[in-house]
Amino acid sequence: MGKKVTLDSHGEALMQQYRELRPSLELLAKEAYDLLSSALREQGIYVTAIEYRVKAEDSLAGKLELKGAKYKSIDDITDLVGMRVITFYTDEVDKVAAIAKSLFDIDWKESVDKRKLHQLDSFGYNSLHYICRMKSGGPRFELQMRTGLQHVWSTIEHDIRYKGDVKIPREYARQFSRLAGMLELIDDEFSRLRMVLTDYRRQIRSLVKDGQLDEVPLSVDSFRSYLDLAPFDRLNKRIAAVNQAEIYPVSLMPFLPVLESFGLVTLGDVQRFIEENSDEAYQLALSQLAVTDLDILSSSAALQYLCLVHVLKHDGGREGLKAIFDTINGESNANAVLADMMLEQAQTLPFMQRVGS
Amino acid sequence: MKTTIQKQDGNLIAILEGRLDTAAAQEAEKAMQPLYDCDGLDVVIDCTAMEYISSSGLRIFLGILKNAKAKGSHVYIKGISDDIRAVFAMTGFINLFEFK
Repeated sequence: MGKKVTLDSHGEALMQQYRELRPSLELLAKEAYDLLSSALREQGIYVTAIEYRVKAEDSLAGKLELKGAKYKSIDDITDLVGMRVITFYTDEVDKVAAIAKSLFDIDWKESVDKRKLHQLDSFGYNSLHYICRMKSGGPRFELQMRTGLQHVWSTIEHDIRYKGDVKIPREYARQFSRLAGMLELIDDEFSRLRMVLTDYRRQIRSLVKDGQLDEVPLSVDSFRSYLDLAPFDRLNKRIAAVNQAEIYPVSLMPFLPVLESFGLVTLGDVQRFIEENSDEAYQLALSQLAVTDLDILSSSAALQYLCLVHVLKHDGGREGLKAIFDTINGESNANAVLADMMLEQAQTLPFMQRVGS
Repeated sequence: MKTTIQKQDGNLIAILEGRLDTAAAQEAEKAMQPLYDCDGLDVVIDCTAMEYISSSGLRIFLGILKNAKAKGSHVYIKGISDDIRAVFAMTGFINLFEFK
């Protein structure tokens, strides 16, 4: 329960105006939220949260009790509808702001970039506030834009600083500022790290595209880029042709740890692994599938047969084969049965005769 | 081919008995339709008494998996024989499903 609030007649009149306006404020909040969230989605901006609210009656009453005289009419109160966008990165706050500018009419006299208000030697609440209006008119509303870390700081600061009636001593207030400074630094570092990683990924993609595979270390990112080149397509199609099979697309990423366990270090190593094992992988697949009428294959089939053959050619035997299935399918005794089956099928194939000799 | 659907312990369970071959697939797919309503439930396909699976059967399983994944549900395959496990392995689908 909130504290009992006493309003003068002007405050009461404003409260009455608010109550009459409330249904249209609810509609406005929803409309503004829908418009902004769909624009962010269209622009490919993913944020941690978009939230909106219509100011609660007791919250407005508290505000009017403190500074009701400041407002001539209910239209002067700009945060009856509030919307907040919480982004991952600092530069995204500006992107959200740019989108908001295109969607809404901004009241520049009332809008504040609190990020720019600080003195050079102080830190604190960092947030961008726009006072907006729908282009079709209607009441104004507030849009706050901030990063996740700014939000955390601001929420905790609000919780602690404004909770009690006792003024916070200067030394503790300074601790808030120090924490804010630290979070600002972390925010900047996250943005910088993201930029560095984006550049790195761009470089990797370019090296993969140029075929300079030996210079690209095997990693989650590089393997994903490499898969864009469809390096297993040719073998998949060759295997699928055995039974005129449909190829069902699946992720090949679960095989990355298997390739790493083979000691493949660069994408060049992966490319050579494909070239060196493709014929034998086809032989093994043919020996298994030709005696069936299975006309559907996973797009991981080629890579799976390549891995199996690699192990067989390197004398990995039953344990090596089981390790592949353990890696891609979770450890299980049943994988030993599969390993035995693969080993038995492979024994008759020409490359196994060479391995054995 | 006999298909029984049960709801048990927060799971949707399909018990398959017999040969899931091309001839039986259409009827089996129809019988397994309730597995598509798996919101908030995991799906268990009990293959203990299943003797054979064809490509048509694999396609049914893949359809059930795709639908369940989109709803955040898991699909577990229970009690498959070594021969049927081999079919999953040789077609490359072994790592798509979770086996019990």
